[in-house]
This record gives sequence, C-alpha cells and structure tokens, in this order.
Amino acid sequence: MNSLLKKSIWVFHLNTGSCNACDIEILDALTPFHDAERFGVKLVGSPRHADVILLTGPITIETLPKVINAIEAAPRPRIIVALGSCGVGGGIWHDTYSTIGGVRSLKKILDEKGIQVDGIYYVPGCPIRPEALLYAIALIKGLVSKKVKGEIKYAE
Amino acid sequence: MSKLLKPVKLVVIAGEAGRVTRKYPFEEPLVTPDFRGKIEINASKCIGCGACVNACPPNALQLIEDKEKLVLRYFIGRCIFCWRCIDVCPTGAIKGTREFELATDDISDLYTHVVHSRKACASCGNTYATEKIIRYVAEHASLSEEYLDKCPDCRKRNFIKALSRRRSGFE
Repeated sequence: MNSLLKKSIWVFHLNTGSCNACDIEILDALTPFHDAERFGVKLVGSPRHADVILLTGPITIETLPKVINAIEAAPRPRIIVALGSCGVGGGIWHDTYSTIGGVRSLKKILDEKGIQVDGIYYVPGCPIRPEALLYAIALIKGLVSKKVKGEIKYAE
Repeated sequence: MSKLLKPVKLVVIAGEAGRVTRKYPFEEPLVTPDFRGKIEINASKCIGCGACVNACPPNALQLIEDKEKLVLRYFIGRCIFCWRCIDVCPTGAIKGTREFELATDDISDLYTHVVHSRKACASCGNTYATEKIIRYVAEHASLSEEYLDKCPDCRKRNFIKALSRRRSGFE
C-alpha cells in the first residue's frame, strides 16, 4: 500500500499524444460496469485537485511543455500512473523524432527542472484493459499484491 | 407530483436491471480465450537466434551482445502484445499467456533477461555465436559439422586458402 495515498484517489486524465485507445479504457473503468468509484476514484477537471495523474501517450515534443505545467500544478504528494505501452516505455514510438519516449524520459526532464514526483506506477498494455487500471488502483490501495517480477534466466 | 415521484421510478428501474458492476479485483476478470497477454520465454528452449528481435515492432525484445555473453532482453513496458515473436520462433521457446495484471511501482520488474554464453572460434579465439544455436544447426544440417567450430571470418579465410592451394599448389 502506498503510504502517501491513504484517502480517496482523485485522478486527472492527461493525454500526452496517445491514440485515444487508453483514454477510452480509462473512461470504461469509470463507468458503472467496472466502477472505479468503488475505490474512491474520481475524475477531476483540473490537476490542482488531483492526487494522481493518469498519463497516457508517449509524450510528444508538442505536448511536453503543457505536460510539465500540468504536473507542476498538481499538489504534493503527486503520483504519476503511466498507462499503456506508450506511457511506460514509449511503445512503438520509442525512438521516433517527435516523442521523448515515455515517462522515464519525462522523469529525467522533471528532475532537471526541479519538479519532484513522489511515485510512478507503470501499467503496461496496448491498450490497457479497464481491469488492468483497476488492478493498479487496487495495488495503490494495497488490496492486491504485485504479480509481475523481473527475472534473469540462464540458457545453459 | 411526477417530479416528486421521479426518484421512485428510478429505484424501480434500477431494481429491474439488477446489479451490473463487476467485483473485479475480488473475482476472476473477463478474459476471452483469444486475448493476448504477456509472453513467456522458455530459457531452456531459446537458442538466441534473434528471429523474435527482428519481428518485434516496438523493439521490446532486444539482443545485447558482449564478448562472453549474449542477452535477450524482454521489456514488457514497451510490448504491444502482437505475438509476432511466437509466430517466428523456430524452436517454440516463446509462449503466450493471458496475463495482463502487470501494474508495478518498480520499472525493473518489467524486464526479463535470458543470458546465453557465446562460443569461441577454434582457430582465432573470437566469440561468434551462442553455443545453443551451434548445437541446433548441427542437429539440422549434419554436413556443416566440420565448419561449425570456426567463426565466419576463419571459414572465409580457410576457403580462400584452400582455393589458392588448389590453383597454384602453394599457400
């Protein structure tokens, strides 16, 4: 469980140049069928009200200054949840000229500017299933345990 | 009057529809049999040929070469779950799963490494291919066995030497 997010998680949906598939899945997770509001998740219209920023897309050069402004506007403690293959590692756009390639490059840029981020969660998927987002929220809430683990295998 | 009764009507409709919300983290997710999730690499079958690396559209599978080792790295955070690697794998080492619950707070959880050792050339000593791919080739093409323990450069050099010996009689 994340010690910084003990109360209801209010999320701000930040599209940084994604193809809208992950965005549709976020909205799907908020509908009564999956109902993320069971965990206190509320979609807010301004980063100033948000605890968590749901970041989709590979962060294009065009959106980068706006993304930095939005993240700076969120109050501390601020958590970023990077959604989809694009958000986590740049996805299929990881080495193109017009994107910076995911949240890890963004973290470096934010560190250079002195904007602190208190935690980053990674949710891979292309696009993410609504359940994957609910799983990430449950992980933040401490309801489920982490399933994926890094491995080093030796081919004898 | 109808304005006052509106909530009552809504309650009636909601009662007829019943509960639609899934209890997801506390019950099984709705995953169809043809859903594509994360891949799993069987290290004992993998030969390190790099066919999956060529097929991977977002370079989620990468080969990292060293003098001694060759590492196949799978980064889930960039994978688009197209399963092309499964189609091209010559030994069937890559298997698809329905796993999609991949959320984590640590990026190192998303990496899988498969470490291969590379074989040194018998004549010059440089490493040139993984030991398992050489074994695989020996199984499938028995005629090539006498060249297998030499690197491609040494093979070329030996061929030219043999050719010149045949033509002129001396090296």
